[in-house]
Amino acid sequence: METKSVKQNQVQAKNEARLIELRNVVKAYDVAGGKFVALKNVDMQVGAGEFVAVVGKSGSGKSTLINMITGIDNPTSGEVLVAATPVHELDHEQLAVWRGKNVGVVFQFFQLLPTLTVMENIVLPMDFCGTFPARERNARALALLEKVGIAEQADKLPSDLSGGQQQRAAIARALANDPQILVADEPTGNLDSHTSDAVMQLFAGLAAEGKTVVMVTHERDLTRFFTRTITLADGEIVAGAK
Amino acid sequence: MSSTRWKKLWRDLQAARGRMIMMVAAIAVSIFGVGAITSAYTILMREVSRNYLGTNPASAYIELERVDDVLVESVKAQPNIAEAEATSWVMARVEVSPNEWRPLLLFVIPDFNALRLNTFKSEEGAFPPQEQTILLERLALPMTNAKVGDAINVQTPNGQKQSIVISGLVHDPGLAPAWQEQMVYGYITPSTLAWLGESDTLQILKVKIKDGSSNQAAIESAVSDLAAWLKSQGHTVEEIRIPPPNMHPHQSQMNSILFMLLIFILMALVLSAILTATMIGGLLAQQIRQIGIMKAIGARSSQITSLYLVMIAALGLIAVILGVPFGVAVGRGFASVVGELLNFTIYSNAIPAWVYVVELLMGVLIPLLVALNPILKTTRTTVRETLNYYGTTRETVASRGLVSWVAKLRGVDNTLLMALRNTFRRRGRLILTLSLLAAAGAMFITGLNVKTGWETYLTDAASYRHYDLELRFNAPQSEAQINSILATIPEVQKVEAWNLNPAALVRPDGLDIVRTYPDGGHGSFSLRSMPPESKMMEAPLMTGRTLQPDDVDTVVLNQMSAAFFPNAKVGDTIQLTVNGQTATFKLVGIIKQILTPATAYVTPSTFAATTGQPAPMTNAVRIVLSQHDAQTISAASGAIESALAAQKISTKVSITETMLEGATSGHVYIFIYSLILISAVMAVVGVLGLMSSMSTSVIERTREFGIMRAIGAKSQTILRNVISEGIFIGLMSWITAVPLSLPLSWGVDYLVGMLSFRAALPLILSPLAVFGWLLLVLLGAVFASFYPARQASRLTIRETLAYV
Repeated sequence: METKSVKQNQVQAKNEARLIELRNVVKAYDVAGGKFVALKNVDMQVGAGEFVAVVGKSGSGKSTLINMITGIDNPTSGEVLVAATPVHELDHEQLAVWRGKNVGVVFQFFQLLPTLTVMENIVLPMDFCGTFPARERNARALALLEKVGIAEQADKLPSDLSGGQQQRAAIARALANDPQILVADEPTGNLDSHTSDAVMQLFAGLAAEGKTVVMVTHERDLTRFFTRTITLADGEIVAGAK
Repeated sequence: MSSTRWKKLWRDLQAARGRMIMMVAAIAVSIFGVGAITSAYTILMREVSRNYLGTNPASAYIELERVDDVLVESVKAQPNIAEAEATSWVMARVEVSPNEWRPLLLFVIPDFNALRLNTFKSEEGAFPPQEQTILLERLALPMTNAKVGDAINVQTPNGQKQSIVISGLVHDPGLAPAWQEQMVYGYITPSTLAWLGESDTLQILKVKIKDGSSNQAAIESAVSDLAAWLKSQGHTVEEIRIPPPNMHPHQSQMNSILFMLLIFILMALVLSAILTATMIGGLLAQQIRQIGIMKAIGARSSQITSLYLVMIAALGLIAVILGVPFGVAVGRGFASVVGELLNFTIYSNAIPAWVYVVELLMGVLIPLLVALNPILKTTRTTVRETLNYYGTTRETVASRGLVSWVAKLRGVDNTLLMALRNTFRRRGRLILTLSLLAAAGAMFITGLNVKTGWETYLTDAASYRHYDLELRFNAPQSEAQINSILATIPEVQKVEAWNLNPAALVRPDGLDIVRTYPDGGHGSFSLRSMPPESKMMEAPLMTGRTLQPDDVDTVVLNQMSAAFFPNAKVGDTIQLTVNGQTATFKLVGIIKQILTPATAYVTPSTFAATTGQPAPMTNAVRIVLSQHDAQTISAASGAIESALAAQKISTKVSITETMLEGATSGHVYIFIYSLILISAVMAVVGVLGLMSSMSTSVIERTREFGIMRAIGAKSQTILRNVISEGIFIGLMSWITAVPLSLPLSWGVDYLVGMLSFRAALPLILSPLAVFGWLLLVLLGAVFASFYPARQASRLTIRETLAYV
């Protein structure tokens, strides 16, 4: 019994060490001239609690790579395992539920729903996934807004917020269902350096709290925040794959 | 709205208020159209029957030498006879202005209070009428140029001109409206008839048979038995009239209108479905990025699908709530107009529950069904695709053969080129919008084509008549004498004898049964002599040939009479009963005559041999005058009347071309109103569809407009771009609608023509319809594009670029 428990702990530890794992992932798109291969046999792992940057030139496959992790896009071949779930095997419906509960996504252009207040935008993932009792959702949303520092903006519409505030709201929304993983696609790409810094502090804090954060970025001066940097070039990882 | 996603739904509806209002309006207009048509249909179907059947029309009218109370009681005792009454009808004349006469059909009622068959209701004045006074049918009064209490001059076949007071009005829904028939209907007692110079002996036996009174065969069988019994009792059965059971004289006219309305109901349903598809497509295009975001944060496709389905159902429901009352109101109004035109009283405006159910299903279910596929398709699109949606795809941009061709033209304005390119940008939506507009246009053009076809038919029918006046005499007159009298009238140019005799289909029991209504016109079948080389009538030949001077026992049928012999071909032999005798003819041709009762034409010699009326005698003549205007016809008619009266020649009826024109146009108004109503609804639905499509297209390109403006485009450029796109779509739809309207018009022309005249209406592409629709669609396109274009051009660059 004791032996089994030790073995289970070892497996768990190994899985945590590889919370995100991509095996031989290829992603090709049909384009006018034929096929464009955005990811070429990519292998990569991310462990629990890591704050990983994905960098590379425009068109190198950064966004495609994180789309594989979030299930926003599916690989042409290869395997994507996130928290031991074979994401590449999930259909659209399963993906939606899985993503809602396990991955928080932060977009460059915030992508808050314009007709909902900031608070409602944060409640929405809980509503879709049924993750918290209905009566607790508002309190949780407010707590998350406090965490990201914009609780006073809770009842405003996204259009009333500054870019930095909208990105904080988007981060709060990504945290709504308390996912293990946060994936952000150039979340500071649309922000000034001061606001970028604040947002990066926020992500770093979340990583410190145990969240795994994978972030696409162009900005090299942010490297100080990351625990690891994966560099992509022409669809291949050229550094930092672990 | 406790759940956040429903809050989102509600806010989205509020945020896109303008477009939602438009979508609701478009569906509501479809529902309004269908509602108006179905409401009118159900009311008219019910009230036509209720009005006509409410009169308890007799199953048959048997003409005998005398019908008295004893005979009536004996007939009532016969098996299969539910009711019997005695009456008479006399074709007299009423002077509507000095020397201008109109036909007056007198119904002789022995006891107005005991009337049980062919009843009518008192509307004004005395009931029953005092002796030596007359009651008129309510719609006949205006034709006499008199009012209740006035005296009018009346002349019966054997009487002198007599002044008689109009003592009241009645409503007789069993008759076709007087103004449509150009005939005055009067009701008098037998003693008043005697005072007018006729015998007070009643000659018509009205009977209603027991069970199966709507079954023609059962009626004929029962009446045949009764006729045999009457003969066995020593009575002479002159003629039996069995009009189509339980059918108003204008039932076929009503049926064709209602049938046409039904066709358009189906078309409106199709249109509504296309419209909804266009609208839903637009709605989804606007929301596609938000769908992607929701999926990215954990929404399942089923959750999103149910959101949009509920939204569509809610919009449909609002459209139903708005559209139904208007549809019902207009349907009721339309039924009321038709009722007035047909002399019906609408006793109840109630609309059956199924109409509301159909409208509810149409407003909610059709949008849901139409929306289901695009919603499922959109919600199943990957998050990446939805987030990267910019309103166009590589494929659609690549497919631009026409655009590339246009681009090569020199001097083409860049804005126009861009508008043209945008037109083809979303092929799916373009096809839907074009389908909607083309369908609406085709229906609009069809409506007016059919109207033109109908009017042309009537104009043609008038142009085939090359005479100005027809006189029918109460007794055959010497043709030579008539000619010499008429020769004294300076306006008379030509006179021809066109004798007339009732005819019937041959029956094994030898009875003379005709389908004629009590008015003597509807359902009648006549044998007429036609001078073979006459130029007074040039009805087009449908098959065979016209009569030749040396023809003997040959007949030319018009299409109405040919319908009695469905299997007869040119060269076949047909038989008719004329004056109780069977006559055999060789069918040599069939001609087309519009709004003319069933008639069999023979040569004068064949007519004389068949009817026994000697050839030098005539009972009807047609006259050509030197001038053909209404004034000359009226004056000549008066002069002819006086000249004939001076020679003691009694005229039964004088039918002028003016009266015929009045009668034919009277029959067409309802039809034209129906078509105009339908065409208007189709036009509104089409323009709303275009508006929806344009607004969707603009919303999709909001970011693009921001970019355009950021690189220097003026608001005016954007406005011009969008309006040009609307005009391109309008033009393309017009090009599609015109050829599409041709088979559609042909089908409706055929169905309506066969129902009304037993001959398809001519297929005419109305220039008014074609160019009217072009104008309408272009104006609609500008109108439809202007609002969304102005909205887009007013957004700041920052707003457009931040657009989600």
